[in-house]
Amino acid sequence: MLYSKMKSNIATRVAGRIIPVLAALWLLVSCSQPELPQLAGGTLLPEARPLTPFTLVDDHNAPFTQDSLRGQWSFAFFGYTHCPDVCPNALGALKRVETLLEADGVTPLPRVLFVSVDPARDTPDTLAGYVAYFHPAFVGVTGEDAELKLLTRQLGILYGRSPDSSNDKDYVVDHSAAIILFNPEGHYQALFGIPHDPQKIAADFVAIRDWYEASQ
Amino acid sequence: MKHKWILSLFLALWAGVANTADTLEVDNAWIREAPPAAPMLAGYLCLENRTDTPVTLVGVESPLFEFVMMHRTETVNGMARMLHQDKVVIAAGKRVCFEPGGLHLMMPAPEKRLLAGDRVELDLLFEDGTKRHITVPVKAP
Ligand SMILES: [Cu+2]
Repeated sequence: MLYSKMKSNIATRVAGRIIPVLAALWLLVSCSQPELPQLAGGTLLPEARPLTPFTLVDDHNAPFTQDSLRGQWSFAFFGYTHCPDVCPNALGALKRVETLLEADGVTPLPRVLFVSVDPARDTPDTLAGYVAYFHPAFVGVTGEDAELKLLTRQLGILYGRSPDSSNDKDYVVDHSAAIILFNPEGHYQALFGIPHDPQKIAADFVAIRDWYEASQ
Repeated sequence: MKHKWILSLFLALWAGVANTADTLEVDNAWIREAPPAAPMLAGYLCLENRTDTPVTLVGVESPLFEFVMMHRTETVNGMARMLHQDKVVIAAGKRVCFEPGGLHLMMPAPEKRLLAGDRVELDLLFEDGTKRHITVPVKAP
């Protein structure tokens, strides 16, 4: 009798302490974790993925590493200059994304990287001329195959010389057609599959950026 | 007698031309202006077969390009690949378009860079041996 009364007293006291703590925690969590944004076509990684090291080179022959992704938002597309259909489509779409964001007053604009997965034919100099055609601020990146794989494997980006290729000079490269978004910490934050719709990508970028800033 | 033979040959040839090349509607043809360093170019067009027999495109030629390939971009599980097409069949009454992200003509960029506003001569080659000559503008989309 006495024992069971004591037990229920303890239970009441424990509950009396725990419930306010839980409520406070819930409030804290719901305030600091804004709701995930509704995206028009992109896929968000709610837990952005930090990158392990890689060393590539940009189109000014300067080193380009995981740290080069810090400090601003970056879009990246993986392709090669011998690709006359998919790659100009994607870079043209990203150019329109930048124009739309600029018209919306977004500053700073996200950076756009074109990563060549065909280092045997694409030198930094080739890339410089290629990306500048789309936008003077676009950055070309490439590097040794082993270093490229260090980056692409972390992003689920695949590429390889097509078995359909006729010879060593005129080969075609199969490659993932997704556009990757890195956050200002240089972490993998989102991806945009094909088809690349500039309106949707621009809207999704703003939603992701606002969500990210509110989560900080 | 000889004249009659030439006339029938002419009629046969003309009929051949009329069967494919002339009865096919070609529209929306363009070549994409490419960046200065781009080694390859892509071209697009639509073909409409208003006859009741299928038409087969087996190749494209141009004095400007070393070769013109017919390709199809296929995206499977997010992976884009370009597949060589030996021929493209336009079924009776159907319209087939070469367009960005799908079927395209692919050719090496000529030494003198093509710019928007330039015009390029192309010959479409059909399975029955007929040809269709078209002039295609270069455009920057
Ligand atoms: Cu192609």
